[in-house]
Amino acid sequence: MKVKKNAAAFALIAGLLVIASPLFAHHGDAAYSATPMIMKGCVVTEYTWMNPHSLIKFDYKNDKGVLQHWTMEIGSPPSMALLGWSRTTLRAGDVITAYVYQAKSGAMVGRTNKVILADGTVLADRDESTPSRYGAEQK
Amino acid sequence: MRKAFTGAIVALAGVLFFSSMAAAQASQSQNQARSPWKYFPRDIAVGDGGPAPKRDLSGTWAGPGSTDSIPAGTPAEKPSLTPLGQKLLSERKPIGRFGPAGTNDPTSRYCDPLGFPQNFIYQNRAMSVATMPNRVVFLLQFGGFWREVWTDGRALPTNVGGDDKDSLDPTYMGYSVGHWEDDYNFVIDTTGLDERSWTMRDGTPHSVNAHVQERWTRVDHNTMKVSMTIDDPKMYTKAFSLGTYYYRWVPNQKINEWLCVPSETLKYLQEQGDPAGSYPNEPEQRLGGGRRGR
Repeated sequence: MKVKKNAAAFALIAGLLVIASPLFAHHGDAAYSATPMIMKGCVVTEYTWMNPHSLIKFDYKNDKGVLQHWTMEIGSPPSMALLGWSRTTLRAGDVITAYVYQAKSGAMVGRTNKVILADGTVLADRDESTPSRYGAEQK
Repeated sequence: MRKAFTGAIVALAGVLFFSSMAAAQASQSQNQARSPWKYFPRDIAVGDGGPAPKRDLSGTWAGPGSTDSIPAGTPAEKPSLTPLGQKLLSERKPIGRFGPAGTNDPTSRYCDPLGFPQNFIYQNRAMSVATMPNRVVFLLQFGGFWREVWTDGRALPTNVGGDDKDSLDPTYMGYSVGHWEDDYNFVIDTTGLDERSWTMRDGTPHSVNAHVQERWTRVDHNTMKVSMTIDDPKMYTKAFSLGTYYYRWVPNQKINEWLCVPSETLKYLQEQGDPAGSYPNEPEQRLGGGRRGR
């Protein structure tokens, strides 16, 4: 019984560590904040499926009502295709919530590991080994 | 009793008939949905697929880092560098330890070819191998490069990059010859590498006269692996292992295009990488061995 409890605790901790880990890219994470900003009501202005990393551009009104123009990256197309992303995943005009790890330089660029579409669909940038992390696979 | 038995037979036949129709329809609909032109990165070969064919690496293969189903290999050893090797390495700012804004990795900044052997250590997530009468050709997904390994018995060239007018030009893929050591082990020797390419992602240099040896083993129908070593007295005080890497058969033999497009790289650097800045001193990353990347 104790073994079972320990195993459950280990699994929980391991799971939390996986969820808490920032996404990994070929160029490392040092240029970006380790904690995300949760940005709601972002309007996609451009989505480019490309190498070395696809880019999502969006407009965002901050809490003072100032319109900001942001760019954020996800993984490379081969990696993101494994996670269900594609060339047609996002379109200009889509309204999304984005979890953004901003660049330490202060520029309005960042990385994301979670995007929620207006219909509630969750798109993630995470390892295939954690398939249930953000719910069902995205089509 | 007899009527009941006949009725049961008819009913069972009916169920079988309709279930086979349903199965056929399901199969048809599945086939319709799965275009032979499409790459399905989640499709993985199951099991060993039977015994290895003799003296044959032909086919389309998923490589290190493509999915978590590729067996882990072993990473490269840390090279022991000569003073010249150390000097060249100290001038290099590899991606990973430096961000896109701070690196001078020629592939990350300019889409220059990774070159051999780095292109078999890093980013070789898929490739095809074709066997021709006098050579084996490796067709790489990343960058769309190909590499010829001559099997007609010729010797490796000497004096590549020399001063005389007949000397051969150094090349990003080098000059390669191969032979079957037995029915399942194919050994390749390569030299004549363009010195602008880096041996590994960390910036380890090589000279034009570096000698790389690969031992490809066809383990079974669905699996092959390669172990690589490099020797280059100009840059290293001793030969060392570049690691071991596994490949698995791609079920529908179709992979997708994956290029480094200069205009895309420029867009990425201008709009994302450079504004993000560079923060060096990230921990050194494990080199090779099939690490999954983004």
